[in-house]
Amino acid sequence: MRRLLPVLLGLAIAAAGPARAESLSFPVLVPLTGFLSLEGTSQRNGAVLALKDAPASVTISSDVIDTGTSPEAAVTALERAAGRNVAAVAASMLGTQMLAMLPLAAEYKIPLVTVSGTASITEQGNPWVFRFFPGDAVTKEAHARYVVEELGKKRPALIYQTTAYGQSGKAHLTEAFKSLGADLVFEEGVDPAAKDLLPVLTKALAAKPDVLVLHLHSGPTALFIRQAAANGVEVPIVAGSAMHQPSTAALLEPAELKGVCAETAASPISGGSPEVEDFTAAYRSAFNTEPDAFALGQYDGMRMVLEAVKAGARTPDDIRKALSTGTHRGLAMTYRSDGKGNMAHSAVIVCYDGTSRVPKIAKRYDNVTGVVK
Amino acid sequence: MITLQLLINGVALGAAYALVALGFVLVLNATSAVNFAQGDLVMAGGLLAVALAPHIPLPGIALLPLTILLMAALGLILALAAYLPLRNRPPVGVFISTIATGIILQNGATILFGPEPRAAPPLFSGGTVSVGGLTVAEQSLAIIAVAAILIAAQQWVFARTQLGRRLRATAQDPEMARACGVPVTAMILVTFALGTAYAGAAGLLLANRYFVTPTAGGDLILKAYIAVTIGGWGSVPGAVVGALLIALFEVGVSSVLSYPVALGALYATLLVILVARPQGLFGEAARRRA
Repeated sequence: MRRLLPVLLGLAIAAAGPARAESLSFPVLVPLTGFLSLEGTSQRNGAVLALKDAPASVTISSDVIDTGTSPEAAVTALERAAGRNVAAVAASMLGTQMLAMLPLAAEYKIPLVTVSGTASITEQGNPWVFRFFPGDAVTKEAHARYVVEELGKKRPALIYQTTAYGQSGKAHLTEAFKSLGADLVFEEGVDPAAKDLLPVLTKALAAKPDVLVLHLHSGPTALFIRQAAANGVEVPIVAGSAMHQPSTAALLEPAELKGVCAETAASPISGGSPEVEDFTAAYRSAFNTEPDAFALGQYDGMRMVLEAVKAGARTPDDIRKALSTGTHRGLAMTYRSDGKGNMAHSAVIVCYDGTSRVPKIAKRYDNVTGVVK
Repeated sequence: MITLQLLINGVALGAAYALVALGFVLVLNATSAVNFAQGDLVMAGGLLAVALAPHIPLPGIALLPLTILLMAALGLILALAAYLPLRNRPPVGVFISTIATGIILQNGATILFGPEPRAAPPLFSGGTVSVGGLTVAEQSLAIIAVAAILIAAQQWVFARTQLGRRLRATAQDPEMARACGVPVTAMILVTFALGTAYAGAAGLLLANRYFVTPTAGGDLILKAYIAVTIGGWGSVPGAVVGALLIALFEVGVSSVLSYPVALGALYATLLVILVARPQGLFGEAARRRA
């Protein structure tokens, strides 16, 4: 019997299996349908890819819930997700949904990790929101500085979208250009449903600009650039971040893109480091599509969360503290909170050479404050 | 020169809108039901062309007949699933069923194609034509020509053929048509097929130059509705004129004023028409029908 005891003990331990890993939930609540589905899908993909590689000490679950485009749907999704051992949420990039979810996140004490660009989400004094994408204050400063400092242009014409996204970009660009001594010679808002942009292009050119600055959504950006190319416009174009999205470039011929530049937080398909190239390859393999800056930003955000878990964080408050005080060297940039939950402070300018749809990084702006001096 | 260029662009856009409005008004006349899925059917036509393009590496003009045929089949399914079971119920039932169909098409397209904007192949080469300093997209000219042919074909069928007479009889008074031996249900099915085929043609024409996304239908149904309201509720020529007027505001007025002001001016014009001529510009036929 004495001889059998260790054997039985060993069998009992083997039957029990290894110590059960702690279970943590990271719901992904993003807009997969509606007008923001393109960006929301990128966000979902970035979060899902990051969560695939969880620390061995924990078991990760991550339900994906479509928040559509209404604030109510986002709040309902958060209510559904809460209370299931939730450690942090990959939250919608739609500003109105974030604003609706913030009070609930504070009540439930759940960190929201997002790539929303809406400035006001980090102006609510809510300690549970973390934005892993540079806001307009950062990207539009880089946008304007590239136009004025690198291209030496002083007569910009601005064409922007009439949506909240467009208005915010317009406000920041106008201020930034003014600070840089390059007042706009033309500005006009365009409805996203506008089918023909030749009228606005014609009026912009009549103002004799030395650069065309765009802050449009994906389709209108491609439409504008196509019409400019068809009409032989030689004034340089520096577009907003929608241009860097591979799906936007896919709508245009490489020749139509010649000389076009764009601001963005990152351009994963442009490479830059072996890690970014590995990410791009893994993303393509998993989702059969090209990654953009939103995917990479959300990926970096969830990786920072998982780094905190790896370092011992087990509760939402542990993760909040880690995100609030820590620094994370992500693939797109190094992230650190400014005290309000703004984690991203870098932007890049990418340019197309006319031979391919993959842009090259032309200029990098780090530690951008959003205040142009 | 630029004015002429804008005019061609405006007429091309108006011609594509006219096909959208035409499909809308055909179904409206035959069933007295507003087909709120019309915009999403245009989107479906555009994405169908996008899906067919890799398998049939020919210019869009070769894809057009196939797209029209497949969309006509979809129109039959739409009629069988979303209209006929509800035809004897209160009209709101059909409104809701077409709205539901539109949402299903939109979400189905997102699942099948993803949310990215897509471009269908051009009707011909997709280049530009330069004539004496005037640069015009070949696609714009092709859109105008194809839309004109399709609208003329529809007018010919309705005016000169037995099928057209039966369709018109069904549209004018279904009960009387039935009493005269016209197979009304079959005519309604044909009308849905025709209306959806026009939506498919419009989708293919629009999706090259202006791209297509799964959510594009909402804006198009609004434009079709406005075109039909301006032109006269139920008037086929009115729908075409209304569509051209919308494009005139979008391209012409916005080239002088800003786009938001042009949009405001369009809605102000719509209000003036509704006040001064509630039956729309070509509303006489509709009044006689009533």
